[in-house]
Amino acid sequence: MIMFSKLYKFFSSVKLAIFLFIAIAALSMVGTFINQADTASQYKTIFGPQVYHILYWLGFLDIYGSWYFIGLAVLLVINLITASASILPHTFKTVFGPYPSFDETAAKKSPKAIYEIIESKKDVHEITKVLNSKLGKPFSEKELYYSKNSIFRLSPFIAHFSVIIIIIGVFLNFHYGFRSYTNIKVGEKTNISYLSKNHKPIKLPFTLSLDNYRTLYYKDGIPKSYISKISIIKNHVAVATKNIKVNHPFTYGGITIYQASYGHYKPTAAKLSIVSLKNRKSEKIVYAEFGKLYDTGINNIKFRFIPYKHPKKDEIPFFIELSNNKILKFYVLPYKKHSMPLIFAKYQNTVFLYNGVKNYYYSGVEITKNAYTSVIWAGSIILIIALFFSFFFNHTETWVKLTPLKDGKKTRIEILAVPKKKFESFYNKFNKLIAGIKKDLTGE
Amino acid sequence: MISANVSVLDGSLYFTVSLLFIVASFAGYFIFLFTGNKTISKISFGVLIAGFIIQTAAFVIRWIYAYKIGINTPPLVDLYDSMVFFAYVIIFGFILIRIFYDFDALGFIITLVASLALAFASFSPLAPSAVEPTIPALQSYWLIYHIMTLFISYGAFGASFGLGVLYLIKINKTGKNESNKKRGGFLSLLPPAPIIEESIYKVVVFGLVFLTAGIVIGAAWADSAWGGYWSWDPKETWSLITWLTYVLFIHARFTKGWGGKKMAWIAVIGFAVVIFCYLGVDLIIPGLHSYATPGSTPIL
Repeated sequence: MIMFSKLYKFFSSVKLAIFLFIAIAALSMVGTFINQADTASQYKTIFGPQVYHILYWLGFLDIYGSWYFIGLAVLLVINLITASASILPHTFKTVFGPYPSFDETAAKKSPKAIYEIIESKKDVHEITKVLNSKLGKPFSEKELYYSKNSIFRLSPFIAHFSVIIIIIGVFLNFHYGFRSYTNIKVGEKTNISYLSKNHKPIKLPFTLSLDNYRTLYYKDGIPKSYISKISIIKNHVAVATKNIKVNHPFTYGGITIYQASYGHYKPTAAKLSIVSLKNRKSEKIVYAEFGKLYDTGINNIKFRFIPYKHPKKDEIPFFIELSNNKILKFYVLPYKKHSMPLIFAKYQNTVFLYNGVKNYYYSGVEITKNAYTSVIWAGSIILIIALFFSFFFNHTETWVKLTPLKDGKKTRIEILAVPKKKFESFYNKFNKLIAGIKKDLTGE
Repeated sequence: MISANVSVLDGSLYFTVSLLFIVASFAGYFIFLFTGNKTISKISFGVLIAGFIIQTAAFVIRWIYAYKIGINTPPLVDLYDSMVFFAYVIIFGFILIRIFYDFDALGFIITLVASLALAFASFSPLAPSAVEPTIPALQSYWLIYHIMTLFISYGAFGASFGLGVLYLIKINKTGKNESNKKRGGFLSLLPPAPIIEESIYKVVVFGLVFLTAGIVIGAAWADSAWGGYWSWDPKETWSLITWLTYVLFIHARFTKGWGGKKMAWIAVIGFAVVIFCYLGVDLIIPGLHSYATPGSTPIL
């Protein structure tokens, strides 16, 4: 039993709390100077293999997920619970009673307590009236115990409790949620995403397709907005389509999709329009990759798009090879309407127009399951409110004892108060209060 | 050099003008330190209020200017804005404390910190004053609440730092019992050491409420913009470290044997943590929050 009470004392002590604050802060600091959750090869190039192994062994590369960091958090929760439990009976007593009597408080002989005696000729009824006007309504008539803002003694307790709620929310979120990222090419789909913490692939409960991507700019070329048009596909049917941008994610079935980054892959195909001079409306567009065989759609002519191995200066660095092994060179024709010249190759009545390369834009999205965040928000809001009340609404207690003096004419009034929160200004306020009471009771 | 025309339009010139007032006020408070002359401290306070009014006007001008050139976020987005706003908030905090308590001696520390912040904003090449379009990550209605709450807390912690320094000076010079009241100078004008200690606590708890709110608002914002309420981004982590520092302060104060001097030291060290969280993280560690180096935003 002694062992247990010692353990209990240790776990509920403020000293442990202070140690935990320092330890958690110190470890958090380490995590800000070493990039967390990079890949092993990245670490090896930054630190060298030996330092990497030491850091890995210390758990410094994923410090917020390390066993000792989580251990400290668990210890903090235990500390919070036991500390709250140990002060709770006392707090309840101060709020709901039974309240300590004058004599009990005086017997404690607190060095901080302040004690004052006034003698008055007025009768008890009148004295009580004056006291009540200065101190408020007494909690008990018999004892003349005055207590203001006692209900707010519960607020530190609620603040501690809300921190427990937040930590529970964090654990639930960590356990049931996930954070992942993936890049999708414009026009393509995926149902695979990679976990942020270890880059492992996971399967999403739906398929995500990127229908379109664009960047909007301010006049001076600074990006204003990154917009991805995404669709959620379930059983081959698009069930939702939405534009997402930074600060405007989209949530579907508990999973939220955030715009995170964008870019384009190295171009792999040229955009060619193939036009027959006989029928100019018959434009066919082919995204031609180097070396592959394509159909022009005109007279069964097939072709390949091929780069020169050693292009000459000022020469278009690619050509067209027809299926009959004929080689078509590209020519440049300045075009009047546009600043871009016309780049073309011609075979009989068939014209190949080179319209640049095909850019594959991709959009980087974060796909997150934010489970149980409502628990965290609830805890946070309670915490802020509880902090507000515990800091700005201070409990004051005053005990008054009335004793009739032997001569029967005078009454002795003893006033006792104990400052809270080591507040020094309390004495000044108390002295002013006593001066006021004295004035009303004795006329001095 | 910034062209005079633009600096008039975007309000930055007026911030620089207000710097002159604040430096003048600092000089006055500095003289007050050695002479204890009340008239000087009153004049310094008046000059400081004038500077504060100019700053308020400059802030309004800057906001209107930003709005006119098509930027819909308040001018609180880059390092210049934030340094200027920091100076503004701690001066505002001091004015409030000065009105409610008789704390003239705090003036020299507050005006010094405010001058340094404003001077850095006005003259450092790291903090260009031009109003730049807001990057997509900051285009959110959360921005203003996030920054306002945090800067109020920074201001309070700045004040608690000043009070902590005063407390330490007073304790070292006169001892706790104030036996030698005859010394004169500003020390005799200061409230007794235990009262200073109490005001450190009151200012810290005020700051802590706003810091907590600011962090929670930041987390809510991150939840709607970055894919999660908490990413252990260096700035987030340092805000947690700052929070833990002041939570430690609150708990230590009610522990036996942790009085006066230790608390004052925690208030002083706490502010160093605040400064690192606010500036050090941006200048040293890259992350989602870095506004120190223009154009280098790792995320959208």
